[in-house]
Amino acid sequence: MRIPRPGPARVLVPAVAAALLLTGCSGAKGGGTSADAGKPVAGGTLTYAVDTEPVSWDPHVSTQDLTAELQRQVFDSLVSEDADGKFHPWLATSWEVAPDLKSFTFHLRTDVKFHDGTPFDAAAVKANFDHIVAKDTKSQYAANLLGSYTGTTVVDPATVRIDFAQPSAPFLQAASTTYLGFYSPKALADSAAKLGQGGTADVGTGPFKFVSYSKGQEAVFEKNPAYNWAPPTAKHNGPAYLDKFVVRFLPDASVRVGALSSGQVQVAKAVPPQSVATVKADSKLKLLTQAQPGGNYNLWLNGSLAPLDDQKVRQAVQRGIDVDLDVKSVQFGQFPRAWSPISATTPGYAKELEGSWPFDQSLSNKLLDEAGWTGRDGDGYRTKDGKRLTLVWPQLTATATQQSRDILGQAFQADLKKIGVEVQRPALDVGGYSTLVYGGKANIVDLAWARFEPDVLWLFLNSASDPAKGGINATFLPDAQLDEWTNAARATLDAGKRAELYAKVQKRAVDLATVVPVYTPHALTGSSAKVGGLSFDSDTWLSFYDTWRTA
Amino acid sequence: MTAVHPAPGPGSATAQQPSRGRAPASLLRGLLRALPRRLAGAFAVLFGAATLAFGALQLIPGDPVAVLLGPANTTTPEVREQIRHQLGFDQPVFTQYLHFLGQLLRGDLGQSYQLQRPVAGLVAEQLGPTLQLVGSAVLLALLVATVSAVATAGRRPGLRSLTGAWELVAVSTPSYWLGLVLLTVFSFHLRWFPVAGADGFGSLVLPAVTLALPLAGTLAQVLREGLEAALAQPFAVTVRARGRGRTALVVRHALRHAAVPMVTLTGWLTGSLLGGTVLVEAVFGRPGVGALVLGAVNSRDVPVVIGVVLFSALAFVVISAVVDALYTVLDPRLGNR
Repeated sequence: MRIPRPGPARVLVPAVAAALLLTGCSGAKGGGTSADAGKPVAGGTLTYAVDTEPVSWDPHVSTQDLTAELQRQVFDSLVSEDADGKFHPWLATSWEVAPDLKSFTFHLRTDVKFHDGTPFDAAAVKANFDHIVAKDTKSQYAANLLGSYTGTTVVDPATVRIDFAQPSAPFLQAASTTYLGFYSPKALADSAAKLGQGGTADVGTGPFKFVSYSKGQEAVFEKNPAYNWAPPTAKHNGPAYLDKFVVRFLPDASVRVGALSSGQVQVAKAVPPQSVATVKADSKLKLLTQAQPGGNYNLWLNGSLAPLDDQKVRQAVQRGIDVDLDVKSVQFGQFPRAWSPISATTPGYAKELEGSWPFDQSLSNKLLDEAGWTGRDGDGYRTKDGKRLTLVWPQLTATATQQSRDILGQAFQADLKKIGVEVQRPALDVGGYSTLVYGGKANIVDLAWARFEPDVLWLFLNSASDPAKGGINATFLPDAQLDEWTNAARATLDAGKRAELYAKVQKRAVDLATVVPVYTPHALTGSSAKVGGLSFDSDTWLSFYDTWRTA
Repeated sequence: MTAVHPAPGPGSATAQQPSRGRAPASLLRGLLRALPRRLAGAFAVLFGAATLAFGALQLIPGDPVAVLLGPANTTTPEVREQIRHQLGFDQPVFTQYLHFLGQLLRGDLGQSYQLQRPVAGLVAEQLGPTLQLVGSAVLLALLVATVSAVATAGRRPGLRSLTGAWELVAVSTPSYWLGLVLLTVFSFHLRWFPVAGADGFGSLVLPAVTLALPLAGTLAQVLREGLEAALAQPFAVTVRARGRGRTALVVRHALRHAAVPMVTLTGWLTGSLLGGTVLVEAVFGRPGVGALVLGAVNSRDVPVVIGVVLFSALAFVVISAVVDALYTVLDPRLGNR
């Protein structure tokens, strides 16, 4: 029974079943160039079929990529970020950053109005940021993105200052995401309890208004005719081309593809690997794909717990898995294997890691011998002092089959058995999983984390990102240098310096064998050839502002 | 039952007349007489269902706040405590249970932890499309089953085995797969029906057929058996001896006898369908209680789970009341006990 659970969080990364190799599909990126969609035309309705349904529609609360992607149409941000990681004005026309990176001053546009007519101003920024960190909001992610936020000061109606306790270089990137988008202060005051429900309670400044939401069926958005404050990263200004934008929830992949090819929806998320060829062969359709930025799908090795508290054992595991072969055969050669904990499309990616830690079974055997795991039991597993070399790697039942990760895990199990390591994979629900994994009682944790910002390395590797405090550092391996470098990278906006620091972080994490990078997930979206101007942003989220549809 | 069957008198039309005229009266009388007992029973069922659901959810291992938040773990401990306190998870389980019962007694189903919406509204909103789907599927199944059974009961073995075969196929076809096939043919290729949603008749056809076919298979088998048992009884010979045709015999006489087990089965199937629509609703992208309760169980959204459980229990109570009442109409002797 494959029952899609609405709302796996960001760790689970949207259910992208597979993707093409970068080389095979670079032409499809930025579908707006497609010849048959022609010049932009205004009007019409576009229907977008997605695979899951947001649990909460409130981007200030939710951790879900889907919430951020869909609500991008409704909520604008202070700044926008282009594909190169450069920041551009949006609701803020310009900004200054204090030398210590502890305070950011934004100069705001004065012509922006929320859908309810309320003007956007400094007080609105303060109301929103204060709302995100308020305990009652119960923010699961946005508050985390605000980091060491200490408060917002309204300097004048068009100027606002955000203060932090710690240097916060990643703040600008966070401020460019939907998670730190702006609600009308009136909506915050009047319907705070309804923001997560979707529909008309969600009042923003974006190019679309959220008109209605019918759970299990669809969400409807309508053009905001007053919109005139698109960021320079958009391809046009003024109102959106589409009159209406409808999201349909179709959990079954073959139904999504069928609905797309029969023209009942114009865009479909998460095309499954078995349908890739069909979609590509159909002249009425096209395929959009892009590597996800941020954390790859990695195995994080728990260095606080025997037997992985021994670096040699960790290294043996890292080099004893045939990542190349496993990823290629299990995932139809559709995902590129990873060499670094972050993907190649993330700023600061350390290309020099590629090929630096190849599969080497004999090295693994040598390392395990050195570590004292020299005995063998009846099943062929290594032992030391009569104890078997066993690793516990829990799987979350709700998402185990995503991107064939369960089968990939079996391949890894088989590889490690060859060097005498037993891997146990208990299937757990969220409760059991969280207790084991974030309680530090699991040996291996697998997860991916999409964000267009190398600061995800802080989240994975800095000891302050302690799972007991709401962090996700599942390595449980405090390392002074990793702490120092990930902190230092937060304290500079110098791209060169940040890249240098993050390169050192990536290399050290691999050298410490605290991570086994596996593959880079790709967003894979099918679209009708009659749709133009559709492309992914740097977070691999679709924006429908520049999108049009020809008959 | 076979032994005490009242032999129809001469001129069966007149013999049936009184019982037909009696039907609404006996139905009403039966219902009224049983009302206090039924209400007490309904209350006990609802109370039991709520308690069982509450208890079952307590048995799921792990911290309820962690379950509610999902596996992302980016929520600060302060916020977690805030959630724990607001939802009363810091209270002893028994206190939570009492609080919950108190709320229920006041007619308040509470608010969904996940969706920030009142449970009653949420369930009501999702129940409509599900009832629509189940209702039309059951009607369709009854129609198909009746036609199939009436047309073939007591007929040649060839015809019988042919219909038996389709019924077996229908019963054993997974509805998930059947839905996909129907969608591929009638929506993706022929484009007769929309793929998904719950607007209007067009979007109801394919999911209703998907649910109805396996149901029709089961019902047809039961009904045919009933019909053939009735046809084997002495009264059938009497009717035939009076020169009545086979169809008249089956429709006017045998059907009534065979209908009693079918009504029982239909009632039971309707009740279980209410929660069994999850897969069909997922395939067709329809709203419904199935998906609602599944999501709620996964995230331990207690008020929503109990809300759906209560509504389902209520549905069962209503259905079984209707079934009992129908017995007395179909076979008045049952009402005189």
